[in-house]
Amino acid sequence: MRLSDLIGTPVRTESGESLGRLRDLRGELGPRSLRVTGLCVGGLGLLERLGVGSPKSGGRLHVHSVVPWSAVVRADRRAIVVRDGTKPH
Amino acid sequence: MSTARELDLGLGVLDHQLVDSEGRRCGNVDDLELSSVREGPPTVTAILVGPPVWRGRGWIGRIAAFLASGQTVRVPWEEVEKIDSAVQLRKPASELRLGRGDDRARPLVDWIPGS
Amino acid sequence: MRRIFQIALGILAAIGGFVDIGDLVFNVEAGAKFGYDLLWVIVVGVVGIIVYSEMCGRVAAVSKRAVFDAIRERLGFGVGLGALVASEVVNLMTLAAEVGGVALALELLSGLSYEALIVVGIVVLGVVIWVAPFEWIERIFGYGGLALLVFVVVAVKLHPEWGSVGHGLVPNVPPSDKLVYAYFAIGLLGAAMTPYEVYFYSSGVVEEGWGPKDLGLNRANSLIGYSLGGLLSFALMITAGALFLPLGIEPQFIGTVALGSQVPLGTIGLLLALVGILFAVGGAAIDTCFSGAYNLAQFFGWEWGKQRRPAGAPRFTIAWAVLLVLALAIIMTGIDPVLLTEYAVIFSVVALPLTYVPILLVANDRAYMGPHVNGKLANAFGLFYLVVILVVAVTAIPLMILTHQGQG
Repeated sequence: MRLSDLIGTPVRTESGESLGRLRDLRGELGPRSLRVTGLCVGGLGLLERLGVGSPKSGGRLHVHSVVPWSAVVRADRRAIVVRDGTKPH
Repeated sequence: MSTARELDLGLGVLDHQLVDSEGRRCGNVDDLELSSVREGPPTVTAILVGPPVWRGRGWIGRIAAFLASGQTVRVPWEEVEKIDSAVQLRKPASELRLGRGDDRARPLVDWIPGS
Repeated sequence: MRRIFQIALGILAAIGGFVDIGDLVFNVEAGAKFGYDLLWVIVVGVVGIIVYSEMCGRVAAVSKRAVFDAIRERLGFGVGLGALVASEVVNLMTLAAEVGGVALALELLSGLSYEALIVVGIVVLGVVIWVAPFEWIERIFGYGGLALLVFVVVAVKLHPEWGSVGHGLVPNVPPSDKLVYAYFAIGLLGAAMTPYEVYFYSSGVVEEGWGPKDLGLNRANSLIGYSLGGLLSFALMITAGALFLPLGIEPQFIGTVALGSQVPLGTIGLLLALVGILFAVGGAAIDTCFSGAYNLAQFFGWEWGKQRRPAGAPRFTIAWAVLLVLALAIIMTGIDPVLLTEYAVIFSVVALPLTYVPILLVANDRAYMGPHVNGKLANAFGLFYLVVILVVAVTAIPLMILTHQGQG
């Protein structure tokens, strides 16, 4: 699967509550690897695409909300489902 | 030895310039290949480069892919040396099959004196 | 010591390079129609390009990436490609207009046929780009363009009503012809804030290998270079206001602009004006041509730059050559360069937000810029001009249509 397949996919909880669309994937860069650690969801869309509010972006706007990957129940092209009660922070 | 650091894939890697071990610009990150998405957590296994890859980048990407020629080049993630404003690679472009567009275009230009 | 010399050279080249065919057309037409009343718009435009250029230069020096790298990274492939296409179209129109301007200046200087001189002009430009090192090109055309300083002398010698000039430096609203006034204000802003200049400048910063230690030079270049270039724009508008407005002349031709110099200074004035126009517009043509090639290469990740030598950056080289050929084809259709210039300036103003917004964002990104992010002052100006640019982009085409391109 490719990154372009996932970005824009709807993100919802098991019980159907919508958390918005997947804006980006948060990752951890190691010496020879790049692991995905979280989902960047919701927010104002356009501003995130333009890079406002990402880690260390230095902006005073924090429009990115991040859901840790550990909360993901199921993920594919059509939807990403997270556990009930997950609140992006 | 770089310590682990946080970055966003779409913002910090996708659509960034690729630079080889000799400092030569050799393409752009057109997409990223992810593995174990279903089993999670996913890892990035490769960088994908080339006009066919643009098909995944929206309708403009599909039109551009149709108009352009070239093949997909898959650069395994282990070839990445480091990431700053560009993605620096460990090997020269030719070893990674990158920069071939420029290689193909070179004969059109290098016969002229002064090139 | 050598540093100061370098700075002076860069600034001199910037002054000469600041005025291009868009400035010539709009400053003179605005002066002929509204006298000195639009001088304040030149100030707004000059400050705008200083802000934009300083930001682009800083981003390029710190991140080693030029404008279109940032555009693709921030807007993504889809929207970024749209921005690229829009920029290339505008670039090409501007390039064709500038080639036309070069041919016109050569025609007035030599008496040879315009069509033949178009071809001569393109060939000479192509050869110069191929053969001459980057700095030489900037110096030759920059210094040659300094001949336009003759208009500063002209403006003074025409004894304008300095009170009226002062009045024009303060934002004012005309009693009538408000829409036409607004159209010219937008045209003047567009002519001052030409995007190809910042594409070219930021790519030059990367090519020259500037780093964070050169940020002072970046600021000096932008501030002093464009301010003094603004002086040339003042001179053109004041000349037109003092000479053409009272006589009711509407300058439709480049030649009319040069004749403005002949009135007080005779043949030497005319010659200096024509030589200045030739080099300023010729230099602008080269900058525009390179910008078009830079943008393509940066978006697609190709190798680029004069320093790589043509064989080291083949697609980039082919790109600028193709742009010259396309410009030749466009101008050979017989389209009036002045008309083409007006369209190019208005369209570039419409596309400006697409290339301004990503730079403003990148300049605020600490991960990218480290300690060199925009400070409060840079952001105050940056946001002010964002608003100006958005308003202008939205109103430009309606005004152009409503006023029949300023004919009223």
